[in-house]
Amino acid sequence: MSAADARDAYAVETIDLSKHFGAVRAVDELSVSIPHEGITSIVGPNGSGKSTLVNLLSGVLPLDGGLVILDGVRLRVVKAHETPEHGVTRTFQEVRLFDQISVRDNIMVVLTSRRLLPALLERTTVAHTERTEQILREVGMWEKRDSLAQELSYGQRKLLEIGRALALDVRTYLFDEPFAGLFPEMLERVKEIVVRMRDEGRTLIFISHNMDIVRELPDHLIVLDSGRLLTEGEVHDVLSREEVIEAYLGD
Amino acid sequence: MGAQLASYRDRQSQLLAIALAVAAIAYVVWKISESPEQALQFAFNGLSVGAVYALLAMGFTLVYSTVWFFDLYYGAAAAIGAYGVFYLRSGEALGGLYEVNEPFVNVAFAAVVAGVVAWALREGLYTRLRTRYRTRNLILAASLLSAAAGGYAGLVLARPNEIEVLLSPAIGVVVGLAVLWMVRRGHRLAHGRALTGPLLAVAAIVAAIAGGYCALLVADAPGSRLYLSWAVSCLLAGTVGLALYRGLYVHMIARARSPLIMLVASLGVLLAMTAATTIVFQAAPRPLPDAFGSDPVVIAGATIKGFNVFTIAVALVGFAGLWLLLKQTSFGKAVRAIGDDEEVAKVVGINTTVVIAVVFFIGAVYAALAGLLSGHDTAIQPRMGLLLLLKGWIASVVGGLGNLYGAIVGGFALGMVEQFGIWDLAGEWRDVISFGVLILFLSFWPKGLLPRK
Amino acid sequence: MELWANLIVLTWAVAFMLWQGVGFAITLGTVFAIWAILAVSLNLVVGFTGLLSIGHIGFFGIGAYAMAFLTSDASYEQLRTEAIPTLGWPFFAALPVSVVLAGVTALLVGIVFNRFRDDIFVLVSFGFAIIAFSVFLNLRSVTRGAFGIHEIERPAIGGWVLDGEVEFLVFALICLALVVLVCWLIVTSSFGRVLTAIREDEEAIAVFGYQVTHYKLAVWVISAMMAGLAGGLFGSWTTFIDPNSFILLESMLLVCIVILGGLATIWGSLLGAMAFVLLDEGMRFLPFIPSEFVGQARQIVLGILLVLLMLFRPQGLVGRYRL
Repeated sequence: MSAADARDAYAVETIDLSKHFGAVRAVDELSVSIPHEGITSIVGPNGSGKSTLVNLLSGVLPLDGGLVILDGVRLRVVKAHETPEHGVTRTFQEVRLFDQISVRDNIMVVLTSRRLLPALLERTTVAHTERTEQILREVGMWEKRDSLAQELSYGQRKLLEIGRALALDVRTYLFDEPFAGLFPEMLERVKEIVVRMRDEGRTLIFISHNMDIVRELPDHLIVLDSGRLLTEGEVHDVLSREEVIEAYLGD
Repeated sequence: MGAQLASYRDRQSQLLAIALAVAAIAYVVWKISESPEQALQFAFNGLSVGAVYALLAMGFTLVYSTVWFFDLYYGAAAAIGAYGVFYLRSGEALGGLYEVNEPFVNVAFAAVVAGVVAWALREGLYTRLRTRYRTRNLILAASLLSAAAGGYAGLVLARPNEIEVLLSPAIGVVVGLAVLWMVRRGHRLAHGRALTGPLLAVAAIVAAIAGGYCALLVADAPGSRLYLSWAVSCLLAGTVGLALYRGLYVHMIARARSPLIMLVASLGVLLAMTAATTIVFQAAPRPLPDAFGSDPVVIAGATIKGFNVFTIAVALVGFAGLWLLLKQTSFGKAVRAIGDDEEVAKVVGINTTVVIAVVFFIGAVYAALAGLLSGHDTAIQPRMGLLLLLKGWIASVVGGLGNLYGAIVGGFALGMVEQFGIWDLAGEWRDVISFGVLILFLSFWPKGLLPRK
Repeated sequence: MELWANLIVLTWAVAFMLWQGVGFAITLGTVFAIWAILAVSLNLVVGFTGLLSIGHIGFFGIGAYAMAFLTSDASYEQLRTEAIPTLGWPFFAALPVSVVLAGVTALLVGIVFNRFRDDIFVLVSFGFAIIAFSVFLNLRSVTRGAFGIHEIERPAIGGWVLDGEVEFLVFALICLALVVLVCWLIVTSSFGRVLTAIREDEEAIAVFGYQVTHYKLAVWVISAMMAGLAGGLFGSWTTFIDPNSFILLESMLLVCIVILGGLATIWGSLLGAMAFVLLDEGMRFLPFIPSEFVGQARQIVLGILLVLLMLFRPQGLVGRYRL
């Protein structure tokens, strides 16, 4: 299989991926493959290693063992700042915005040049402001553009963080609990965004505890338990499997 | 804490670290084989200096691992310790050459002591007694008591030449209370009930006699003025540390986004206190009066002063005391719990404000002790505190931040490294060596020799 | 509050000038310009990038010593205890060396310091200030130790030597204006926006493809180069330097200025430097402070101000960013 084929096949793959914190094996020799296009949801009980997996894929945590394959590139060390080059970006479980700068700058900051010297010489361009406005309107935050990010409500912060990820034009988006703690109105808005992104042909991978959403949105489901892959497959098929019901209701 | 100490786990850096350690050991071995006597001499010097660093590191690490911010006040506390002794003893021991006695200083310290005593009464007695007595009477009594305590502290500072006469009653009362408490506790353990009235009276008389006798002993002992001035200096530095926490930091910690807020505030405290010290005592170095043991003792061709042996002993005793306090008492458990998670500690019913205040007090006492011990060894300067503090800081990083064993190991290790380091380099490079060690440790062993578990 | 802070400091400055006369104001102006360059450049690191550095004075000293070493006059041979070569460079040849040397040092130091954050960074930056001071004091073959270096060259353009205080003040203010301009260009560029994001959350901005270490290193070097420029100016202005101008205390006062004026604002640093200079000189004329205690009194006032700011106004007088 050539590299080009691999690129087409999977957005994210792991082989024997491991991460432990002291004696706790948060992710334990996990091998999963997440195909390009469509929505994949990662579910599992608390402490099953979902967030750790996302942190490993995005280079926020160093790997203890195994491989990550992003967009066909095999990596033993994932560097956070290289993940966009591999077509991946993310949001965080506990919202991590740049609190003391404005909402507008929170978006604009990720649009600019990645190289030092060009960045030093680069002023804010019309392209930047237009793209920022477009994103902010999309997540419904245009009216708030001049407030500081720390002044927003929880739901608004969550939306802004999703907007910040959208601002990056990549193929794969990792959303860590994008629906948690949102009021129905905001929840609908996030759902709309997710569906539209799928329709644009992007890959969405999200963690969720909300079973209604998990039944409704994803095409593909990955179930983790104690850092291992419990099962994976088509959503309704997976949800009716015995071991999944047991893992969720057993404890 | 893991986030603050950037972890750096590259294979290459580990190899480099091992190579460096091997090179350092080889250097020391080579030096010892070259001249054993001289090596012993440097080792003695290293231990003497290391004792001071260890004291600082212990106090510092205790405070840091409780509240997780660097408090620069401990630099000022070391200076207060040294200059306190100078203030109290300069009239007598240095022939009155640099005698200082500023009413303003006396009043300022008296006010701090009064404030802290008032706070202690409120936290300690008020909550227990308020059901029995009227609030107004309690407040009146507490104000009188704290004013008296403040006045007493001011008086001690103002009349340093009668220090033993002034302090004897206080020592008597403290020893008496301690005896009384022990008798009551012993009785309760033996008979399962508290002392009855007549027995209590007898015990009180015993306690009074014991206290009085101890007070007389202290007053008559040779050199008692010097030792009492040590005690007073340490207590003052500790009281100021407590007051700073209760009066200042506690209001910031609740709102602070980052520990840098408290660090910057304590920088302000350090700047102001250093400048005040300079105004009162002037910037030029001053000697402290002679303590005992200034004659060198020769051991196997190397010399060490008796006072340095004493300093090392103080560091070991200080370690033992802190170990007992932290590992054997419920107070120690509370400190540990607060260090792990202050919110959780609050929820399980620990009075965090009181525990942290006491921690600040102890930390400042250790810093003051280090300051005055090093002051007796060399000259003192208003600016001495910051450098001492930084050395204590380095020592605790070397040993492992937040670990008591690490503090004493790190202190002595840093002293040794500094002394062996200046064997071939000149002595003026010792600060560079210390900070070189710091940067090496932070880069390769950010958790130190003995990491906090 | 911001308006008031501006008004008070500026009125104070004008009143002081009117009171003490123009001659004194010119001296003060040069002191202000040097402190202001230092404060503005330090604010790039402390306010915009969120690295609380107490080692800035080291780069200042490197700039000053480079200037002194290269331009010191040969005619003062009798003042030399240990011969250092007499190069006698002109000012404008030495100034770039001051800047570049400070920058190169910063690059080397920064590579080591890059992995530290928050209070650990404060600690190692203390270390840098102390190491730099030790070098100035003890590397006698270059710095002549405690004796200092005399007869440092004043700037000369063609045949016109900037000997007078007025000429030097104008030159210093031009340098300040250049530094402010460069800083303004930096903080309003994309680079500057990334710096503020680094200050807020290093890990989060890294995920978006920015190599945080490079950005931090770049701003650290730029800031140090500006401090080196200030050092070169300072050496040339005083014509004599010794290690006592580069002690840790000065560095802490510099941090006071930056925090007092306000983090992440260039104007705040200018205001802070002005307030600082006025505080020092203003106290000289207060009748109840003996002249030998002026420096200490200023230090006490600054210390108390710092505590009050942290209690009530962590963003400083006109700041945007709360520590």
